[in-house]
This record gives sequence, C-alpha cells and structure tokens, in this order.
Amino acid sequence: MSRERLSKGEAHTMSEPATLQINGTTIDATFAEAFPMKATRLVITAHTPAWAMNAANSLTGFATSVIGCGCEAGVERMLPAGQTPDGRPGVTVLLFAVSSKELAKQIERRVGQCVLTCPTTAVYGGIDAETSRAPLSDRASLGSGLRFFGDGWQISKMLGDTRYWRVPVMDGEFVCEDTALTVKAVGGGNLILLARDIDAALAAAEAAVAAMRRLPNVIMPFPGGVVRSGSKVGSKYKGASASTNDAFCPTLTGLSAHSELSAEVGSVLEIVIDGLTDTDVGAAMTAGIGAAAGLGRAAGLLRISAGNYGGKLGPYHFHLHSLAAGLDGSRA
Amino acid sequence: MSQRTTLRVKTPPGFRVDASSLLPMPLAAMSVADIERMVLPAGNDRCIVGDIFHVSRNEAADVSEAPHAGATLVFENAEPWLDRVGARMTDGHLVVHGSTGDYSGFQMAGGMLHIEGDAGHFTACEMRGGRLTVTGHSGDFAAGALAGDMEGMTGGTLTIHGNAGARLADRMRRGLVLVGGNAGDFAASRLVAGTIGIGGQLGAHYAYGMRRGTLLLAQRPAHLPPTFTEGGRGFDVFWALLVRSLAIEIAPFSQWRTASLPTRHAGDLAVDGRGEILVVS
Repeated sequence: MSRERLSKGEAHTMSEPATLQINGTTIDATFAEAFPMKATRLVITAHTPAWAMNAANSLTGFATSVIGCGCEAGVERMLPAGQTPDGRPGVTVLLFAVSSKELAKQIERRVGQCVLTCPTTAVYGGIDAETSRAPLSDRASLGSGLRFFGDGWQISKMLGDTRYWRVPVMDGEFVCEDTALTVKAVGGGNLILLARDIDAALAAAEAAVAAMRRLPNVIMPFPGGVVRSGSKVGSKYKGASASTNDAFCPTLTGLSAHSELSAEVGSVLEIVIDGLTDTDVGAAMTAGIGAAAGLGRAAGLLRISAGNYGGKLGPYHFHLHSLAAGLDGSRA
Repeated sequence: MSQRTTLRVKTPPGFRVDASSLLPMPLAAMSVADIERMVLPAGNDRCIVGDIFHVSRNEAADVSEAPHAGATLVFENAEPWLDRVGARMTDGHLVVHGSTGDYSGFQMAGGMLHIEGDAGHFTACEMRGGRLTVTGHSGDFAAGALAGDMEGMTGGTLTIHGNAGARLADRMRRGLVLVGGNAGDFAASRLVAGTIGIGGQLGAHYAYGMRRGTLLLAQRPAHLPPTFTEGGRGFDVFWALLVRSLAIEIAPFSQWRTASLPTRHAGDLAVDGRGEILVVS
C-alpha cells in the first residue's frame, strides 16, 4: 500500500519549457504537487547516540503514510551533545499529519510508547518560535499527558519559560517538555525515477535520498526513503480510495492505456518528501535530482518525473525544470 | 528611541513614601512638568514628586544600561523611605541607585527592576514575572506572600547578591530565587513549588512544610530537617537542564557543572513530600 498523494501521469499537462536532459537523463516537463500539513520537530536525547537513535527509530517506525499510519515521520539528523537542551547526544525527528488534532494524538502515542520506554531518553520540542521559517500553528501535548504515568510521583519544573516534567522510571527520571510547538508544513513533494532495471533504479534512488538527507527540515518517510508502490486516486473496487499507479508499472507497459513507460524502462521508484516549508521541499528535490541525474543515463537512469493532480488539489507546485535549472551536468 | 527619566532625591521627606505609581512606561508618556506635579501617597499624608525629586529626561539614553527596554526610569540617591518601588510593574526598566524600602517589586509582572543597594522587607512579594535584582541585602519575606495570602512568588526571577532575611520565598509557587549570601530563618518554608538557590548559610527551620519545589544549597547545611529523606539518584538529566539554565545567573550558581551531581534529599514528608533539597558542595 502507499499514499494517496499520487503520481498521476496523465495529469501533468501544464505548459513547461522544452525537453531537458542532464547527463542523458530526461527531466520531464512536469511538476510535483504538494499539500499543507501540520508538523513538529522533536529532539530526543539519551545517554549515548545509539540509545537516542533506538528511540527515534522506534518513534518513526510505521509512519510512512498518513493513510494507514496516522502520520509520516522520519529521522532528520543526529545532534552532537553540545547542541541539545540537556547536553547529551541526540536525534531530531520530524512528524507530519493532516491536522493538529491527529498530530497531537500521534505525538502522544509514539512518545509514550517509544521514547518514554527507551532507556535513558528525554524528549523536547524542537521548533524554535523565534527562528522558525515555517508559520507557527499551535502547541501539542508532550509531557502534559505523559506525566500521568508518574502516578502522582511526577514533578513539574519551570525553567525560564519552559515547563518540564520529571516522571520517575526504573532507570531514573524520564524528562520531557510539557508541550511541543507545531508548524504549518508541506507534505507530498516527490520524484519518480524511471530506470533501465531495478539495479539502476535503486542506485539512483539511494543516491538521491542520501543527498536529500544531508539537508535540514525534510524527511523521506518511506522505507529507506523510497516507495515502490506509487498509487493513483481511486480503484475499480468499491471502497478502495487508492490503487496501484498503472501508468508507471513496467509489467503493464503494453496493457494499461495510461502507461507512461517506454519499452526500455524496466523499473520505477518514487521518493516522497515532507518538509517544514516549501523552500525546504524544493531544495531537497533539487538535491535529489542532482544526485540521481549525476549518475546519468550511463548508469541506467532514463527519466526523472513527478506526480501531481493537474495542479488542482495542492497549492504547492514544484516544477522539475525550475528545480534543475542550476544543476551541473551535460545538457541536451 | 530609548527614553530615560531620572528622579534624583533632593529633599528627603522625613516620612515613608509610596512610589508604586512611579513606573517606567507610564512616566515615559508624561512630560517632566506633569511628573513633577504627581501626588504620591505617604501614609496618612501626601507629597508632591517635585518637592522630593529633581526630575530630568534624557531621550538619548545610555542603552547599555537598559538594552532591552524602551523606557527606563532611574532613581538616584534613593533611601529606605521609598516603599513599593516597581510594585505591579509590567514592563520597562527601573534602576535604583541606593536603597529601597519595603515591597519593592510587589506583584511585579514584567520588566526589569535593578536595585543597586539594599531592599527592605517583602521584596518581590507575590512577584509574577520579570526580573528583580538586588545587589545588596534584602529584608524578610522576600518572594513570599502577604499575611493571609495563599501564594507567594508565582513567576520571574529574583536575584539577591547579598543576604536575605527570614521567611525567604514563603509559600512561593513558581519562579527562580537566587541568594548569593545567607538566608534567615524559615527559608523556603511552606514552599509550593519553584526553585530557590542559596549560596551561603541557612537559618533555622529551612524547608519547613515544603510541599514541592527545589532548594539548591551551595554549602552543606549544619543539619538536615528531620522530615527529609534520602532522595535517591537518577536525576542527572534534570540537573543538566537546571545547571544550563543557571549559567547566566550569579555565582556560585553559574559555576555549577553537570558532571558534579548534588546530593538529593526529598521532603518535607510531613506534607506532600515531593520537594527536594539539592546540596551541591
């Protein structure tokens, strides 16, 4: 299964400049269409980087798509000890949901089950109201709900303007901030990589994801950052809101009337990007295009495309030619 | 542009004066002549500002003295007959050169009050926010509650470089109180919550009836209250957060390090028992 924000091949009909190729890889004259979401950043610290990452991996597990997981989440980056609120090594994670209510629910559940339970961890809000470029939304409960686990032994502590909760647990105290600031964010940026075979598709996708992960404020929520089951809206079956994107399935090249694939395309993979701002998503897509196209046609990457709904549903449009305008590589 | 209004004492009135209406922001909106005509309560009597103070205005103020304030009010040659300085202050910057009387920063909710001298009793009493600094000593009931009131200080930061009198932070509920010197009897008594740091020695009956909150002691006390128990371990993350938050405050609190974990005692078991005394030495 995959997400409902689709790669819908027949929809990208808006006017675009002439054909663009970088290192022999065709950049389609199309755009990715993205949507408003609510998001937050959490800072998880622990006694060692490994335990912070254990908690982060657990918290961001089963969070590939809002359709079936409630939220989309991923590890943003590791933090050295000097950059965390308590001076211990940490990890930042980003969570995205379709509404403030759902985001708050997911934060409380996931922190309660995955961070509170993990040895030595503490968790703090990671959105700075003064420096955030994303519009601020509201505050989601963090420790204010989890404190009840303390069964009356929990301690509230105000340090400056921030309230923390100290909940006694078996390895000491679980410390967490009372609330986490949330922002209005952007979800659903995407790239579709069309390759000669699965080896080439994987190599291009892995290179693109690696380049994107070097950037702040974005996550690629699917396994390894990559999704193979791109979907389209609707289905022949009643009750199914989404189904396989037959336009990009190589086994349906001669069968589907909507197929977008030429005979030489043997494998297609998609990368979905959620970011705190549209600028962040655009920067990540540019980095992804650059890394993938850097391998070029010689490595088997034939085309780079994107999914959209014809521009009618999402307010954020990321045109591939514009994103790729400043990239290096031989042009055609 | 930053504006500075200066009230320099020229004639001590011979009685106590209520200065609660002399606040930075309201005075910034008034002309010097209007300020001089202000009437101040003085017990059962009244007095005129112009009779006591020489009032001056400086539009191009020294911003280094009030880097975050649009309006600054300065008392020069202040003496302990000046009560309620900065009472119910909400914003601006108030500087006192000299000593103040009682109720300095009473129910103060914001802004900065800097007293370069001693302060009387009830300093920061029922303070709600902002920052109050006393470079000298303060009297009794600092950060406490008025008689009969349920809550003392509920927010902000009170820093006393010297000694504090008795009943420091009585019934305090929230905020930070730091005393560089000694504290009198019943320090942190009936504490509901909040953080209190004491750099010197303590008087008798400290932490009496302490329900919650944190009492930080830079020196090991002669004895611990009998209703406190060993508080265990495992609070190193909280300690790290606390130490980092104190880094901008006065010594010795700013010099504490996360690596040196204090000894923790929990109590007062006669009441809620969720308070803590952290002995850093």
